[in-house]
Amino acid sequence: MLRYTVHRLIVMVPTLLAISVMVFVIIQLPPGDYFTTYVDELKSQGENVSADRIEFLKQQYGFDRPPVEQYFVWVFGMLQGDFGYSFEHSLPVADIIGDRILLTFIVSFSTIVFTWVVSFIIGTYSAVYQYSLGDYALSFLGFVGLATPNFLLALVLLWLANVYFGTSIGGLMDPDYLDQPWSWGKMLSVLEHLWIPVVVIGTSGTAGMIRRLRANLLDELHKQYVVTARAKGLHPFKILVKYPLRMALNPFIADIGNLLPQVISGAAIVSVVLSLPTTGPMLLRALQSQDMYLAGSFLMVLALLTVFGTLLSDIALAILDPRIRLGGGAEK
Amino acid sequence: MMLRLLLSMTLMLGAPLMAGAAEYGESPTLKDLVAAGKLPPVAERLPENPYVVQMDDGREPGKYGGDLNILMGRAKDVRQMVVYGYARLVKYDRNFEIVPDILEAVEIEEGRIFTMRLRKGHRWSDGAPFTTEDFRYWWENVANDENLSPAGPPVDLRVNGQLPRVEIIDETTIRYSWAAPNPRFLPALAGASPLYIYRPAHYLKPFHAAHGDEAALNAAAQAQNQRNWASLHNKMDNLYKNDNIDLPSLQPWVNTTAAPSERFIFQRNPYFHRVDPLGQQLPYIDSVIMQVANSKIIPAKTGTGESDLQARYLRFDNYTFLRENQDRSGYKTLLWRIGKGSHMTLYPNLNAVDAEWHKLFRDVRVRRALSLAIDRSEINQVIYFGLALESQNTVLPQSPLFKPEYQTAWATFDLKQANALLDEVGLAKRNNAGLRLLPDGRPMELIVETAGESTEQTDVLALVRDSWKKIGIALHSKPSQREVVRNRIYAGETLMSIWEGLENGLPGPESLPDELAPTNQDQYQWPKWGQYRQTSGKSGEPVDMDKPKELKALLDDWYAAGDRKAKEAVWHKMLAIWADQVFTIGIVSGVMQPVVIDAKLRNVPEEGVYTWDPGAHFGVYEPDAFWFDR
Amino acid sequence: MTGRTDIPHYVNPAPFDPHSVTAITPEQERYYTASQWQLMWWRFKRHRLAVVSGAFLLAMYFSILISEFIAPYDLHHRNTQMLFAPPQAIHLFHDGDFVGPFVYGYKKSLDMVKMRWTYEEDRTKVQSLRFFCIGDYPGAAYEFWGLIEGSFHFACPADGGSFHMMGTDRLGRDMFSRIVYGARISLTVGLIGITLSFVLGLAIGGAAGYYGGITDTIVQRIIEIIRSFPELPLWMALSAALPVNWSPILVYLGITFILALLDWPGLARAVRSKLLALREEDFCTAAQLMGARPKRIIYRHLLPSFMSHLIASATLSIPSMILAETALSFLGLGLRPPITSWGVLLNEAQNINVVAIYPWLMLPVVPVILVVLAFQFLGDGLRDAADPYK
Repeated sequence: MLRYTVHRLIVMVPTLLAISVMVFVIIQLPPGDYFTTYVDELKSQGENVSADRIEFLKQQYGFDRPPVEQYFVWVFGMLQGDFGYSFEHSLPVADIIGDRILLTFIVSFSTIVFTWVVSFIIGTYSAVYQYSLGDYALSFLGFVGLATPNFLLALVLLWLANVYFGTSIGGLMDPDYLDQPWSWGKMLSVLEHLWIPVVVIGTSGTAGMIRRLRANLLDELHKQYVVTARAKGLHPFKILVKYPLRMALNPFIADIGNLLPQVISGAAIVSVVLSLPTTGPMLLRALQSQDMYLAGSFLMVLALLTVFGTLLSDIALAILDPRIRLGGGAEK
Repeated sequence: MMLRLLLSMTLMLGAPLMAGAAEYGESPTLKDLVAAGKLPPVAERLPENPYVVQMDDGREPGKYGGDLNILMGRAKDVRQMVVYGYARLVKYDRNFEIVPDILEAVEIEEGRIFTMRLRKGHRWSDGAPFTTEDFRYWWENVANDENLSPAGPPVDLRVNGQLPRVEIIDETTIRYSWAAPNPRFLPALAGASPLYIYRPAHYLKPFHAAHGDEAALNAAAQAQNQRNWASLHNKMDNLYKNDNIDLPSLQPWVNTTAAPSERFIFQRNPYFHRVDPLGQQLPYIDSVIMQVANSKIIPAKTGTGESDLQARYLRFDNYTFLRENQDRSGYKTLLWRIGKGSHMTLYPNLNAVDAEWHKLFRDVRVRRALSLAIDRSEINQVIYFGLALESQNTVLPQSPLFKPEYQTAWATFDLKQANALLDEVGLAKRNNAGLRLLPDGRPMELIVETAGESTEQTDVLALVRDSWKKIGIALHSKPSQREVVRNRIYAGETLMSIWEGLENGLPGPESLPDELAPTNQDQYQWPKWGQYRQTSGKSGEPVDMDKPKELKALLDDWYAAGDRKAKEAVWHKMLAIWADQVFTIGIVSGVMQPVVIDAKLRNVPEEGVYTWDPGAHFGVYEPDAFWFDR
Repeated sequence: MTGRTDIPHYVNPAPFDPHSVTAITPEQERYYTASQWQLMWWRFKRHRLAVVSGAFLLAMYFSILISEFIAPYDLHHRNTQMLFAPPQAIHLFHDGDFVGPFVYGYKKSLDMVKMRWTYEEDRTKVQSLRFFCIGDYPGAAYEFWGLIEGSFHFACPADGGSFHMMGTDRLGRDMFSRIVYGARISLTVGLIGITLSFVLGLAIGGAAGYYGGITDTIVQRIIEIIRSFPELPLWMALSAALPVNWSPILVYLGITFILALLDWPGLARAVRSKLLALREEDFCTAAQLMGARPKRIIYRHLLPSFMSHLIASATLSIPSMILAETALSFLGLGLRPPITSWGVLLNEAQNINVVAIYPWLMLPVVPVILVVLAFQFLGDGLRDAADPYK
C-alpha cells in the first residue's frame, strides 16, 4: 500500500510537468497574444493605441522574450507560490482567484450534494424495481437534465424565476448585498439565486451517477448471498441496506477525484450565462483574451486538483477493494 | 476665430451668475461635512468663475440626491465614468461645437498658437489646487521623460514631426505654439478618450525618480509587482483608466472602490467646477453605482429595472423586450440615433491580392452596380422596422455638411441599371446557374468575411445575397474572428468585409476629414494605402488610383486651409467624391439605439445622438445635470 | 415401515422413462441453443424503453435521408411578410365540421410603439394542408442532396397560404424546416466522432490492457493528463487553431475530430480494464499455451467478449458529442450560420428576447432532448443486454 502510494506520488510529478507544458501550449495556440487582443479591443472602441506603446507594454511584461523562456519564468514562479500577474485586471493572479473562491466553493459544494442525493434516490429505486413504470419515469427525470443544453435551461430558469418569484437576474445575490457583510438576509438572497445553477449543473451530473449506482446495485442484488438472505427471511429493506448498498457505494466515493474539477469547469458555461461571480467566467474570459498567467495558473490549479483527486480515489478504491490487481504482463 | 467668439460668449454667460455670485448651493451631504469642518465651504471649493450649465434647451434645475445605478460588462469599464462624466479641458456641446469646460478660455491665433487660461481657484478632488504646474509636470516629467514615454509625446501634439513650444505664463495661463496649424489639438482634448496634457503633480511627484530617491522607488515598485519606478508610475497615473482610487480627479464622480470587485461606487467630487443656472454646485446625483455583469444578460437585467441609465450593451433588437417590461420595472425606453456615418457598410478591398477582383473593384461601375443591387428598403423593413435611414456611407442628416445627394447617390434599388453596368464592364457571360463569369472563367463568387460577432451582420448579408443573385453574383458570408479578419484584410486576402461606416457621422467643417482619405490601415477598403501613410512609406503600397490620390491631396488642402469657409469647401469636395465613387457601399445608417432611463430621471433628452467621438455617449448631454425627481 | 396409512399417497402407475429427467421443453431448447447475439436481443427486448428509443433513433436517422421531402420549405427560404410568426396549430374541425388537417391564416399588424409584429389567427381563412404534393409555392423547390432538383413534399401549405408548424424566426424562415435540415449535421457529428473515438480507444486501450507494464503505465498517464484537463480550454484552443479559410464542411469535420480526440480516453479506460480482467481467464491462457499470437488472441478471443460493453459505452458517448456541439456553438467556436445545425439554432435562441417574447424559437431543444434521451436509454438497454451469460 505504502509502496503504491509513493510510486503514484513520484509519477505525479512528470504528469504535472507534462500538463504544464500542455497548458502553456494551449494558451499560446490561438494566433496572437494578449496584446493583440488588447489593441484590437481598443481599436473597436475607437481608441487609438500607438505601436510604440504596445512595444513598451510588451517589454514591461516580459513578452519580448522567447516563449521557452516565458514558460520557465512562469513555472519557476508558480513553484515559489507566485502565480503571476493578470494583464486584464492589472492585479496579481492570486488576488483575483482568491476573491472568487468562496462563492465558487459554495456553488460547487451545493451542486455535489444535490447530485449525490438525487442520484442516490433514483438509482436505488431504479435498481430495486427494475423495468417497472417507476423505474422508467424516474430514469427519465434523472436523464432529462443531462439531455437539456445547460445554457438554454439556465437562461429560461433565470427569466422564469424573475417573472414568478421576483428574483433579480444573474449573480449569486441581490446587488444590494454585494459588498455587505454576511447577514441572514444575504444568506437568504444567496439561496434564492443558488438553486438555479445547482439544479442546472446538478441535473447534468445525476445521469452518470444513477447509471453507475444502478448497475452496481443490480450486480450485487443478483449475488448468492442476497438470495440466501432473502431465503432466510431477512426484511427486504435490511437486505438492501446491509451489504449491497454499501458495496455499490464504492464508485461514489472513488469518484470524488473526478467530480470536483468537472463541477468547477462544467459550471463555467452556466456561470457565464447566469453571470455568477465564480471562477468559471473568469477562466473563460482569460482564455479568450489570452491573459496568460491568469488562465495558465488557474488551469494548473485545476489540473493539480484532478491529479491529486485521482490519486486519492485510487487509494480509496484500493483500500476498499483489495481485489484490484496491478502490474504484470499477459505472457505466462 | 470661432473660439474668440466663444470666449466672449462664455464671459457673457457667466455674467448673470456674477451678479449673485456669493450664493452657491451645495448638496446636503456636503453641507454636513462643511458643518463638521471636514470640507471648506462651497465658495472656496468652486473656482472663482465656475462653468455654468445653460439650461435653455428644455432642461430645468434639479434637486440633489439619489444614486444612479448602471450596468457594465467588465471591471475595466470603470473608465466609462470618465467618459460619461466628460469633464475636459475643452468639450463638445450639444451642437457638437467645441467650447471651453475646465479651461476658462482658449485663444487661438492662426490656428497654431493656443493660449489656455485655467479657472482660478479650481481644485482637484482632494482639495489640492489645479494649476499650470500640473501641465508642466506632465510635459517635462512624463511626456518628455524617456523612462516614462520612450516614444515621446503623443502624435496629436506633433505638427510635421515638430513638438510645440510650451510656455508657462503664470499660475493659470499656459501657451502651446507650433510652426504650422494644429487642427487636431482641440478635438483630441475634447475626445471621449481624450489627450491628457496634465497630471495631478502633487500626487505623482513622490513616485517620480526626478523628485525622489530612485533606488527606494524601485524597491517600492518591485514590492508591488512592477519592474521599476517607471512601470509603477505608468500604472498609477492613468486618468482615463480610472482604476487608481487614490489618484485625484476632475470628474464629477470619483471612483472609491478598488479592484477586484463586482460593484464600483463613484462618489461625488466636492470640488467639481460646474454649477447650474441657480448656482447649485453640480452634480445633483450623490453617487453612481456601477455593477459588473456578463454583457449578455445586461438587456435582461435592464428589463427588470436594475439600471437607471443604460445604453451600452443594449441593441436595437432588445427594444421590444425593454418596452414590454418598462411599466412593471419603472423605467422609460428612449430611442436615440447612432451617430456613425453608416451602421452597416460593405468594404470592397481595393488592395485585394486576387488579380481579377483587384481589377474589377477598381472599376467604379462594378462598385456602383453592387450598390444599386442592394434592396435597402427591404433590409430596413425586416431588420430595423423601417426606422433606419437607407443611405450611403456618408454624413448624417444632422451634420451641417449634409446634402441629400450624398445620401442617395447610387443607393436606390435598381436592378436593371446594375445589370446594365455589369454587362458594360464586360461580365455579360453567365454560367448555367445564372452566375456571371469572371474574365478567367471562374463564376463570380464574392466571399464576404465578418467578425462573426453579431447576427445582425449575418442577417443583412442573407438579404443582400438574395438580391445580388439577381445580378448574377453569388455572395458567401464567412464568419470568422475579428482579429483574423483584420489581418487578412491588411494582407489583401479578403475580398470584401462588412463593418460599421464612418466613425464620425456628424462632422462640422472644423472636424478632421481623415477618415475620407487613405490615412489608416484600418480603412478596410484600402488598407495598404492607409498603412503606407501611417508608416510614412515603410510598409504598404502607395496610392495608385486617381480619385484616392485626389482625396489625399484634398486632405492636405484641408490642413493647410486658413478659414472655416475654405475647410467647408474641401469637405464638400471630398464628400462629393465619396458619393460619386462609392468606395464603400453603405447600406443603412441612423439606426436607433435604445436608451433606458429610470422613470424619475430628469434632464435626459428624449431624442439624442449616441456617438463615441464626438459625443462621449452620454457626455455631451451632461450627466452631472441629471437629477432624480423623487 | 410402520406409519399412518390415512395420509394420501400418490404413486404414478405409468412406467418410468429414464430420459425424462434430461428432457427439456422446446422453449428451454431454444434458449440453450441460441447464439450469443440472439440471447442479447431477447434480453434487450425486455427493456421496453430501449426498444422504443432504438426505433425512434432509426426513424430520425432515416429522416436525414429524406429531409427535403419532410420539410415543407427550403432551408434558406424566407418570407418577409411573416417575421417572428408564432406556430400555426393544425386543426381538424372548423365550425364543427370535419375539414381535414388545416391551419388558420394570420392577420398581421405592426405595433410601432412596441416594435413588434402581432399575429392573430384569422378564423375566416381556412388553409387546408395538402399531402404528397408537388410544391408550387415559393420555397418549395429544392435540390435533393444538392444533386437532383425536385419539389415533392410530404405536406404543403394551401395555395397562397403558409404552413409554419413551429413558427418563423426573425428573417421569416420556417423553424420546422430548419430543425429538419439541422438534424443532418447534428446527428452525424456524433456518428463520425464516435467512430474515430472508437478506433483510437480500442487500439490504445487494447494495447495497454493486453501488454501491461510500461505500455500500460504510459497510456494511463496520457489518459490521466487528458482527463485532468478541463474540457473548456481544450475545446477553445483546438477550435481556435482551425484555419479560418476552411470551408464549412471542413470546419465541421475538424470539430468532430476535436470532439473525438477528447473522448477516446473514456473508451480506452473501459477497454483496458476489461482486458486486464479477461486476460486472466482460462480461455486466454489456453490460447496462449497453444501458441496464438497476441493480435489473434485480442481480436478473436478477447474482443468478442466485451464488444457488447464497448458498443454500450460508445452509444452513451454519442449524446455527449451532440451536446458538445451545441456548447461549442454557444461559445462561438463551433458551427456558425449559414450552416444550420441544432446547436446553431439554439445559439440563436440564446437571448432574452427569445425567452421572454418569442419562445417558439427554443423548439430545437426538443429534438436535442429526445435524441439524447433516446441514446441514453438505448445504451442502457444495450448494456443490460451486453452480458447475457450473467
